[in-house]
Amino acid sequence: MKAITANRLEDGRVVYRKAEGGWTQHFEDAARYSDDALDSALEAALAEEGVVVGPYAIDVEGAALSGAKLRRESIRLFGPTAGSTREAAKQGADHVQI
Amino acid sequence: MQIEATCETARSAEAPQVLALPPDAILEDIANEIAGVERIDIHFPSFKDGRGFSLAARLRERGFEGELRAVGNLIPDQARLLKRAGFDRVAPDQSGQAERWNAALTAFSGDYQPAEDKTEPAFARRARKTRAALADALNADYADRPAREVLAAALDRFKGRIAVLSSFGAESAAGLAMIAEIAPDTPVFFLDTERHFAQTLDYRDALVKRLGLTNVKILRADRDEAAAEDADGQLWRRDSDACCALRKVRPLARALAGYDALITGRKRYHGGVRETLEPFEFDGVRIKVNPLAGWSREDVQAVFEKLDLPAHPMVEQGYVSIGCWPCTAPASPANVRDGRWRGQDKTECGIHQPLAAGGQGGPLL
Amino acid sequence: MYRYDEIDDTLVRERVEEFRGQVAARIKGDLTEDQFKPLRLMNGVYLQLHAYMLRVAIPYGVLSSDQLRMLAHVARTYDRGYGHFTTRQNIQYNWPRLVDIPEILDQLASVEMHAIQTSGNCIRNTTTDPFAGAAADEVSDPRPWCELIRQWSTLHPEFTYLPRKFKIAVTGAKADRAAIGVHDIGLRLVAGENGDIGFEVHAGGGQGRTPRVAVKLRDFVGQRDLLAYLTAILRVYNLAGRRDNMYKARIKILVESMGADAFTEAVEDEFARLKNGPLTIPVEEIERVAAHFLPPAADPRPVAKSADPAFLRWKAHNVKPHKVDGLRSVVVSLKPTGKTPGDASAGQMDALADLADRYGLSEIRVTKEQNLVLPHVAAADLADLHAVLAGLELATPNAGLASDIVSCPGLDYCNLANARSIPLAQAISKRLAETGLDEPAGELTIKISGCINACGHHHVANIGLLGVDKKGEEVYQLTVGGVADGQSAVGKILGPGFTADSAVEAVLTVVRVFTERRTGAETFIETLGRIGADPFKEAVYAD
Repeated sequence: MKAITANRLEDGRVVYRKAEGGWTQHFEDAARYSDDALDSALEAALAEEGVVVGPYAIDVEGAALSGAKLRRESIRLFGPTAGSTREAAKQGADHVQI
Repeated sequence: MQIEATCETARSAEAPQVLALPPDAILEDIANEIAGVERIDIHFPSFKDGRGFSLAARLRERGFEGELRAVGNLIPDQARLLKRAGFDRVAPDQSGQAERWNAALTAFSGDYQPAEDKTEPAFARRARKTRAALADALNADYADRPAREVLAAALDRFKGRIAVLSSFGAESAAGLAMIAEIAPDTPVFFLDTERHFAQTLDYRDALVKRLGLTNVKILRADRDEAAAEDADGQLWRRDSDACCALRKVRPLARALAGYDALITGRKRYHGGVRETLEPFEFDGVRIKVNPLAGWSREDVQAVFEKLDLPAHPMVEQGYVSIGCWPCTAPASPANVRDGRWRGQDKTECGIHQPLAAGGQGGPLL
Repeated sequence: MYRYDEIDDTLVRERVEEFRGQVAARIKGDLTEDQFKPLRLMNGVYLQLHAYMLRVAIPYGVLSSDQLRMLAHVARTYDRGYGHFTTRQNIQYNWPRLVDIPEILDQLASVEMHAIQTSGNCIRNTTTDPFAGAAADEVSDPRPWCELIRQWSTLHPEFTYLPRKFKIAVTGAKADRAAIGVHDIGLRLVAGENGDIGFEVHAGGGQGRTPRVAVKLRDFVGQRDLLAYLTAILRVYNLAGRRDNMYKARIKILVESMGADAFTEAVEDEFARLKNGPLTIPVEEIERVAAHFLPPAADPRPVAKSADPAFLRWKAHNVKPHKVDGLRSVVVSLKPTGKTPGDASAGQMDALADLADRYGLSEIRVTKEQNLVLPHVAAADLADLHAVLAGLELATPNAGLASDIVSCPGLDYCNLANARSIPLAQAISKRLAETGLDEPAGELTIKISGCINACGHHHVANIGLLGVDKKGEEVYQLTVGGVADGQSAVGKILGPGFTADSAVEAVLTVVRVFTERRTGAETFIETLGRIGADPFKEAVYAD
């Protein structure tokens, strides 16, 4: 199965395509697409250039991320594994309210 | 720069006087095609492909004066860069957004680099102010100082970027002697108009040898320009200003590139515009140094006698200001420049005007 | 340091307004993402994995204390409390919102800062020796020339849409600390035949996918001709550089394909037309800019002897000689054991700004090794300064040592990366501390890149790590023998790649073999040259 992800235009945050259209920051709310349904969903996502940047499909298996880009997509979903702002984020010091 | 609403007209322009250039055009290979063309369209396959900017700038630098049009995939945000690179018009693939195109043209009020829109770059604007202030400051310090001090200060202050302009005329030897004494390797420019009296050329060579000047540079009109503008050698008859421009103003302008200061032998007693001459003047481009501004004819004479300098052989025939033979006549010592361009309003040949602007002028050290 | 006049100030503020309009046009739909991307990049705005990243220019690595306080303010207000200093003497913020960036740039403009051309296919921030104007071995101060280049290259009508990015480095000292050999253009200030200062010009160097050392185009270009000569090089590149393949679009590929002689001839031909034209720099402008960079006054105060071993160790590694009597330059390490290389918190930045005011003539530098420098500190104040720095976790005594690791942000942040870099840097730094190898190894460079773009400068590291993705796994290639400064050299791959854990141990093994096999005060490169790569290879691949 596939999901569709992108970065939100206004703040760059990672978002996922919802089944009813529109976008969410919560991966659990992301729509899952069969290969057949993917093309039209991606086309609709690509048309929303005023909302998101660079939508693309990612592999999912059940409720989880999977596939060759698993590490990259995990880092996008869960945040950096290292770097000072990771520690800061853990302490809830996200100064940008989104 | 004009923004065309759509590219329709751009693509239909197949008139013979219009040349369409691809971005990979090599100017050296198409020099013949460019000659006589009224407009060149440079194609931008993508707005990210910046070759057209350099092509335009190169065309302008190499003297193309026709219309330059940018055609293709361009965005409004590039308006100002296009204008600065030398384009007159733009015909973008994507129509509309006239407001953004026009806003982009005026988004910045100054520029760091010189470019083909010929606006003054920041460094030149700053240097011009500094140079003007420097001339004022030097005048405040040296207004009443002796010529030798003025000259020594200028040669020191502008070392390596100062030159002398000399006609090797009636009075020249006095100032040149002083320069030879302080810095004999100072570049001395002599404008060989190829219309000088033979006596002037002989006198020049004798004086250079006698004074020990080691860096005299002879400037002549560009061969191609002379052939084009004065094929019969009679331009002076038809248009003396054009002749001065060809044989004096432009050769000097070329030679002075890289020089920031120029020593002249002009004196207030010569009259006319020279009556208010100060030792230092900023002409908008460079500093003119006039160490002898306050000298009288008698002062000049005294130096000739003291140093036993040879006189220009024509002085005893009544010539007091000596230029080219067609435009020089004897005059009275009271109005030394009356013998120049006699019968015309003209009193200066143009070389003492700001050289960037061209203009009128007169004789020299 | 340089201060803006009205012209500079106006231009930077107009640039902020231009970008504000472009952001609005993008959101409104007047600009597509394809059109907006190069525009935002030229204002320092990347889109990374989690958010936008803003790269703010620190021109030639020089900061005032007020500017550093502003960087702290931006970190605190628009980011998560940190800034990341880069290998090109800039600073990056990893979490700003696009819609806030015009406001951030506006605030930066109030302290004479900007993000102009910190990315994109244009002329980037000119880099130089972090000890410029202070170094004891300096021939001539490179900073005025960096500033003149900054101005000339800013919003250049011809060179804003180049085939690829373009980086210029200038060195003014005998020892090259700007890595001029691996830049698109490298300039070395030299004395000409008559004693005049001018430039030795190199071009065609670079790292990335195809690392190349620059070739020398000319022994001497006069000061006033500098911009005409640079224009000639850029023009040849802009017209002839490849645009069909972004991996072959850098000037190094053009120089190589044309041949150094033909390239030089094309540049000289263009220069002959430009020389003595409007690009000639007025002497007054050279003097005006140079007047901003006068040397500091000597400090005659006596220096008390210290017996504190922590202070002495820090002084040995982090304190550098100064050209002025009684002054020293101090490297403020951003490489505490196990931490992220190049990161500084807003609090650290504020505190360091205060220290610069108190002890360092209000000036701070950023190094390509991702550290900070207080360039002008009185020798008499060193002990006091050290005590305060230690309390801020800014006195790690490892400048130039193996644990002074350079690392790109890697896959934890970067959209281009294939593998993580920061966790390896942290692990290597911890292991160096545990094994006690750091001090005995002496000066040694370790640099890590998370992809072939080589932002971590691994090609020119004595020991380099390059992260690649092999079927979903992070694999690291180990190179040895690279040199950044002086006689630049590209490291060679030692053998098959490693997993992250074994890469850390492999690096440790290389360091250990070096400490065992070196004789006297040999550098790593000298030992490698003498014994060859085999002893390292055998030890690393022993199991």
